[in-house]
Amino acid sequence: MRGLGELEAAVMDVLWHAGEPLRVRQVLERLDTGKDLAYTTVMTVMDNLHRKEWLTRERDGKAYLYAATVTRAEAAANAVREILSASGDPQAALLHFAQTASDEESDVLRKALRRKASKN
Amino acid sequence: MIVALALLLGSALVGWLAPRQLVRLADPVVALVAWLVSVVAVIATVAGAMFLLFLPDHGLGALTVFHHCWDSLQHGSGPTVEAVSGLTGAALLTALLARVAVVGRRTARRRAHEGRQHLDVLRIAARRDPGPHPTLWLEHDRPLAFSLAGKPGVVVATDGLHRHLTPAQVQAVLTHERAHLEGRHHLLVTIGDVVAATLPFLPLFKRAAIAVREFVEMAADTAAVRAHGAENVRVALLRVAGHGAPGAALAMSRDAVETRLARLQQRRHAPSAVRRLLSCGLAGAAAMALPAIAAVGALTALMLLVCPYG
Repeated sequence: MRGLGELEAAVMDVLWHAGEPLRVRQVLERLDTGKDLAYTTVMTVMDNLHRKEWLTRERDGKAYLYAATVTRAEAAANAVREILSASGDPQAALLHFAQTASDEESDVLRKALRRKASKN
Repeated sequence: MIVALALLLGSALVGWLAPRQLVRLADPVVALVAWLVSVVAVIATVAGAMFLLFLPDHGLGALTVFHHCWDSLQHGSGPTVEAVSGLTGAALLTALLARVAVVGRRTARRRAHEGRQHLDVLRIAARRDPGPHPTLWLEHDRPLAFSLAGKPGVVVATDGLHRHLTPAQVQAVLTHERAHLEGRHHLLVTIGDVVAATLPFLPLFKRAAIAVREFVEMAADTAAVRAHGAENVRVALLRVAGHGAPGAALAMSRDAVETRLARLQQRRHAPSAVRRLLSCGLAGAAAMALPAIAAVGALTALMLLVCPYG
């Protein structure tokens, strides 16, 4: 299961890197996972990604042309938003490095630090 | 009856007064151990008190010296009262502990599920740095870092860290997050939350959630300071805190950041592993025995009061 998940990440990596729609065969050629992958394996993974709405596809002759629905930066921004906007208990699944606060409060902290620094 | 009452009184005293002392402990890891052991000790001592109520001789063989005094005290209430109160107390305690278990299991499961959902998205959207605790890098401007429990636990960080912090400060942040995973802090936080939610009676229980959260942050800071120096951790904390999500602003974490900054300004040196282990052992043992010691103290005081010539 985890192996398949890593393959999903690798496939998205290829498509983001290419910047253009690709067929399964082309993705397979560009995948650099250190092992020989079957065409059907990659096809299944890309089908899953399509189902999870990471990829869109268009029929092009006999095969599908797959493209990423969002850029990597958009995907990252979505992930950050989704995780940070989860309020209450979902938030508790994470431990943040610094989980504050309004700009105003950070200002207070920064001023406190500057005062301290100028005293030294 | 009296011994049981003394044990209950001792537990209540510890549950009431211990938090004030525990927050003063210098080493956050020792404080964590002492707090959680105190929770267990108070519950165990209350359970012991219930058990004593059922024993025919109240397990008092050792106290025959006070026999005379004892007799006079014991006649205060009949055996039926003892059995009934013991039974009621035991039933109450069992119900409470069952609730702790049920809520704990549910909370742990829900958080594990949420963690997996987060990870599903992150695994695809992020670039992966391998390691015993992999780091998932997100292409995002805001400097953010957090850790997510799991098998294995992962650190999630944004490229924004590199834009706002020096390399040493970035390493300090990552060390802090890995310390959360290595110390199993997510589990401790969940335990604290469940204790606070299910046993909202004494400060020791009620404040467990907030205390554990503060202690784990301090413990992770200590690890980061040991590896990268206090100044790097302090500046990283300030710069990352300045970019926090408004929606996630909680009074609790504000307090924690201020406490952490104050601590880092003192630049305390991290203790050695052996010393810390020793302190944890001592603190744990002391915390475990404290309710019983308080009970003995209460009992002695009572006897001196009731039978000054006994």
